[in-house]
Amino acid sequence: MPKKIIKRSFKHTKPYKALTTGMWQDHPTFCMVLGICSMLAITNRLDNAIAMGVGVTFCTAFSSLFVSIFRNTIPSRVRMLAYMVIIATFVICVDRFLKAYFPPISEAMGPYVGLIITNCILMGRAEAYAVKNGPWLSFLDGVGCGVGYSFMLVLMAVVREIIGFGTLLGFRVMPETWTNWVVMTIAPGAFFLLGVYLWIFRTIAKKTE
Amino acid sequence: MNSRGSKTLHIFIFVIVMGTVSGIFLVGVNLWTAPLIAKNEEIKIKSAVLDVLEIPYTKPDLLNVFQEKVREIKKERVILYKGPDEAVAFEFYGPGLWGPVFGFVSINSDLKTIRTIKILHQEETPGLGARIAEAAYLNQFRNKEFLPKLLFVPQGKSSAKNEVDAITGATGSSRALERLLNETLQKNISMLQK
Repeated sequence: MPKKIIKRSFKHTKPYKALTTGMWQDHPTFCMVLGICSMLAITNRLDNAIAMGVGVTFCTAFSSLFVSIFRNTIPSRVRMLAYMVIIATFVICVDRFLKAYFPPISEAMGPYVGLIITNCILMGRAEAYAVKNGPWLSFLDGVGCGVGYSFMLVLMAVVREIIGFGTLLGFRVMPETWTNWVVMTIAPGAFFLLGVYLWIFRTIAKKTE
Repeated sequence: MNSRGSKTLHIFIFVIVMGTVSGIFLVGVNLWTAPLIAKNEEIKIKSAVLDVLEIPYTKPDLLNVFQEKVREIKKERVILYKGPDEAVAFEFYGPGLWGPVFGFVSINSDLKTIRTIKILHQEETPGLGARIAEAAYLNQFRNKEFLPKLLFVPQGKSSAKNEVDAITGATGSSRALERLLNETLQKNISMLQK
């Protein structure tokens, strides 16, 4: 992460903060530790991870936007229900879109596209940020969290696909003599890898604080 | 009306409006994507049939090639696809070890030997059971006799005309595939010979 010297004025604006907190300071994975289930499940190949990242970013951004727009109309007693309906609407859109235009990716991700609905990041951002802030900031916050999450998905997938399949985006990168680590292609391998990443990033984060 | 009543009414109206609006929106999305999804599904199945019947095709004229060269025969809810060289293809669908297995198998015109197998969907363990879907594994089925029964034997020990290698470390998936293939082949072959 760059040091805070470039432009104080720009870096201290609210939109910038809203966008970047999700990418580093309040990173969904290594700070809030949310959305882990789907992360373990779909990061075995890079193309899946990218599709999932784009899907989650789209869903967080727009569900945050809409929650924020209606934040004064949503009765507080049914706010959870309202979040769920808004989130579910966007997730179904993503699911149908993938099925219609990218059938192979939709096939590979199986039920995990639909399960974005249960991804805690979306609910967490709606409850923690969107319901208290304006639409534009909430949208940026959603994008930031989505990008932060996607970044982590890609990091996981790169390592898992190279070690587990010997390929990257389907192209062979390891020599033919390479023995695939089967454990990396299944969820337990991802769990270990995630642990290592958490350790690395938390150590770095502590230093920058 | 007292404030409590109006609050409840507010919630009630809000929920109904929200449900209706998002429902209408999703109906729209569905209307827009449904034909595309149905077409993808059709392309997936037809390209798999052409693959197992080993009819060459290019992506743009897939549907034309299919219409020209493949005859569909419907028998007792099963669709049999007949190629120009009298080879027959049909789908198989059933439980694997962890989830459903779905694919197509074609048999040669002698109705005794397998030509090709293609697995479109499986949820077996990646790197172990999932290898049942790899071409390298499925190639060994070529020209194997499936009558009276296809036998899966330990890896590297297949010798007879009706024996194929199982996958070491994926006994469950191998057994499931063995049962599934035998069931489907036997059922459909008896239907064909009638």
